[in-house]
Amino acid sequence: MKRKSLARSALCWLVLAPLILIVLFPFAVMLSTALKPTAEVLQYPPRWIPRHIDWGSFPAMWRQADFGTAVLNSLAISIGATALALVVSIPAAYAVARLAFAAKNVYRRFLLVTQMLSPVLLVLGLFRMAAAVPFGEGTLVNTRIVVIVIYAAFNIAFAVWMLSAYFAAIPRDLEEAAWIDGCTKPRAVLSVFLPMAVPAIAVTAIVTFVNGWNEFVVALTMLRSPDKQTVTLSVVNLVAGRYSVAWNQVMAAALLATVPVAVIFAWLQRYLVQGLTLGGVK
Amino acid sequence: MPRAAVPWLLIGPSLVLAVVVIFYPFVEIVDLSLHDVSPFGIVRGFVGLANYAGALADPVFQGAVLRTLEWTAAVVGGTVLISLPVALVLAEDFHGRGIARTLVLLPWSISLAMAAIVWLWSFNGDYGMVNAVLQQVGLIAKPVQWMARGSTAFPVEIGVGILVSIPFTVTILVGGLASIPGEIYEAARIDGAGPFAQFRWMTLPLLRPFVTIAVVLNMIYVFNSFPIIWVMTEGGPDNSTHILVTYLYELAFRIGQPGLAAAVSVAMLAIVSAITMVYLRLEEREAA
Amino acid sequence: MKPGAHGSAQAGVRRRPLIAAAGSALMLAPLAARAATSLHVTVAEYSNATGPYFMQMAKEFEAANPGVTVHIDVVSWDTLLQTLQTDISGGVTPDLSIIGTRWLLTFVKDGVAEPLDHFMTPAFRDRFIGTFLEPGEINGTVYGLPIAASARAMFYNTEMLTKAGFPDGPKTWDDVVAASRKIKAAGGYGFGLQGKEIETDVYWYYALWSYGGELIDKQGKAAFDSPAGIKALTLYQMMVQQGLTQPGVTDYTREDVQNLFKQGRVGMMITAPFLINQIAAEAPKLQYGICPVPRGTTSATYAVTDSIVMFGNSHAKDTAWKFLDFLFTKGPRVQFNKNEGFLPTIKAVATDPYFADNPRLQVFVKLLPVAQFAPTVPGWEGMAQAVVDAVQSVYLGKATPQAALKLAAEQADRALKQG
Repeated sequence: MKRKSLARSALCWLVLAPLILIVLFPFAVMLSTALKPTAEVLQYPPRWIPRHIDWGSFPAMWRQADFGTAVLNSLAISIGATALALVVSIPAAYAVARLAFAAKNVYRRFLLVTQMLSPVLLVLGLFRMAAAVPFGEGTLVNTRIVVIVIYAAFNIAFAVWMLSAYFAAIPRDLEEAAWIDGCTKPRAVLSVFLPMAVPAIAVTAIVTFVNGWNEFVVALTMLRSPDKQTVTLSVVNLVAGRYSVAWNQVMAAALLATVPVAVIFAWLQRYLVQGLTLGGVK
Repeated sequence: MPRAAVPWLLIGPSLVLAVVVIFYPFVEIVDLSLHDVSPFGIVRGFVGLANYAGALADPVFQGAVLRTLEWTAAVVGGTVLISLPVALVLAEDFHGRGIARTLVLLPWSISLAMAAIVWLWSFNGDYGMVNAVLQQVGLIAKPVQWMARGSTAFPVEIGVGILVSIPFTVTILVGGLASIPGEIYEAARIDGAGPFAQFRWMTLPLLRPFVTIAVVLNMIYVFNSFPIIWVMTEGGPDNSTHILVTYLYELAFRIGQPGLAAAVSVAMLAIVSAITMVYLRLEEREAA
Repeated sequence: MKPGAHGSAQAGVRRRPLIAAAGSALMLAPLAARAATSLHVTVAEYSNATGPYFMQMAKEFEAANPGVTVHIDVVSWDTLLQTLQTDISGGVTPDLSIIGTRWLLTFVKDGVAEPLDHFMTPAFRDRFIGTFLEPGEINGTVYGLPIAASARAMFYNTEMLTKAGFPDGPKTWDDVVAASRKIKAAGGYGFGLQGKEIETDVYWYYALWSYGGELIDKQGKAAFDSPAGIKALTLYQMMVQQGLTQPGVTDYTREDVQNLFKQGRVGMMITAPFLINQIAAEAPKLQYGICPVPRGTTSATYAVTDSIVMFGNSHAKDTAWKFLDFLFTKGPRVQFNKNEGFLPTIKAVATDPYFADNPRLQVFVKLLPVAQFAPTVPGWEGMAQAVVDAVQSVYLGKATPQAALKLAAEQADRALKQG
């Protein structure tokens, strides 16, 4: 089925065009508003191209929202949550895919239920828990660690489902061959099985990372001091409950917050699809 | 080490993490739902099921239940209906496919809260570019105040909900399409099956498990989805866009009724698990 | 009374989550260690200037008090209630926090606020303008100090109102309607009506009070579904129906209406003095005047204070008090009021030339004798939400003023009872 003709490509793009236009629309709005000087933001009727292009919103927002710190916090939290979720989910997924044990079905049902409970439902309970655990000079409230642990926990269900489906598709024979060659079982897992599972692990990592990067309610509840804010929080704070909103700065912040993740997607989209492909569905 | 312990060792860490972080707070919520709780979270006294009775009697709650079902059905249904053809196209080999895939995945890179902020600004009645564009192409004569009433605000919110759900869904479906071996299409073509017949009798059934997964996961996510409606309308005006999760948030953190909010949380879990179970049962029966 | 006595009594009342019991033994030592030197203050964000202002105050205070560190947490008004609620419920409150004064009664009822009387010398008390200190008193005891205060008045676009025949602004609601008709005929929006988010209810109270109505009667029951209330809401409904307001009022927050006003698209609106600062910064060419809220049968306006409170379980009450003492001296107060455009709450600021010689601010100050403060009742938020729903349903044409207010009064009574 390798017919990559021009006409066919044009047809494909034509079908996708409406969706792509709508997808790009908010980005155009972000750019257009971010480049407007304050005097033009609330001009009626609005225009796409500002009369005077003003890059000033970017540095102004950067200072106002302490954006650099927020990016570092978001990175630390998202990477931490991803790592923790993978560390607990990979062995669990291996067990679900490869081993027979009595509690397997109960465990899977348990995961499905955890998936149904969203952080918004539990936020008060989560906070009371964090406030009850002593940590350093105070409690777990206002620490990045508690946010990392919570994000990791809420991603376990998806991670185990995704990884176990993929693991099940990796042929057993290769591991068994390694045992015959004198490998111990754990070593066979590390040297033969895991390398083959890299694409699935990568996809799971991306999804977990993005969930962490985007989460809002838990971060809002747990993170208090300005030096702990995440990117999403700092953008929302530019809008919420203010007596006046600087929309050009808000859009500049939203644009900058989106670019890093968009780049990751552009770079990894191939693996993303491939990872889900081989995973299949159990 | 006894063999029977190995699986437990492997699932142990994930089990502990999930139980501590998800079930412990859930137990706390159930506990709160049975108490009178002050607006600032001080537990005052045991009230039995009074909070549940209070929620059930509240017309806003009843409206929110129906609207949540509407919201979930519309967003999930719309997402799958749009994602299916998009995934079929993206599974084809064509010039610029990588770019097209990246573009379709792009909404995934904006957090929901930010996407909602940007769309809220775009739909602003005075300065929003949506009105500007619609006026330019002549679809509307004068600016529309989209967020002023539920009859326009809620459909806009559903649209945003669909848009942000498409990337995840398309990814799953493209993955599913790629797992269908090409040879069976060759065979079908030799047997004289046209493109439509191929789609109806081969692609669709083989894609079915992927669609099921997409529907179930989206259903859970959308049912619990908070930022879009909260950022755009906070459930208003006159409660005309409240779904359960925004109503719950308003009760807990705006009106100061944490006990009532906790009861709504528990009710939500009951509803979403019921829907999921029913859907999975139906699927199993159809597949069998 | 010794400050320490309160902290321990309240800790006993608070119910901690189960695992707290295990943790509390470990917690005590580090908390006690940090207590002498570390102060945590939650401030609500009024504008971009709020955070930096309090950070600067913290620095100045630290410089004057070696060994003390002050941590400022800046929270948006949208999330302040949630922040306080989670903090109190988790037992990890800051030492000081800004709150809406209307929450104070619940704070006292829940036993989380520290009474301040024992810190206050007569000289300290005398610093304040009495009207603004009162709302922070519960049963004769001061629990909150007025960190911010504002009253409301009508802003009018001089050019539009002059053309409409009211060069000094409207005096009565009839004037507002008459002016709006002329402005509408000239292609503008007459009366800017807020219909969304925070203080949507307040925008209707202006009219309610000006017709002599009241929110809550002496028995503590909702009383806004009175003939005065129906008259006020019918007035707004008529203006919406006849296009005398901006279209789609339920899509306009107070900020949105202010933006229309800055652009010279709306003739009149009622808001707080902080709009003066915003106009000076964003629309310096706009010609506008400020006049009292229009009369119905009487003259009235809304005044509101935000309080700064000390938490009963603070471990550094004396330091916290010192910081409060510092905040309520002339220098810090003048700067805060100038930044945010609020009214002076201490006398030394009121006599400062910046305020005393500012005719625009004086309009607000002169209104204070007829101002209504938000009643300090538990369940205020629930009542406010019921009123917001009611006025929105009327603006949208879904209900009559009578029916909407009756329903809202029933809901409000439930909320007031639950509190």
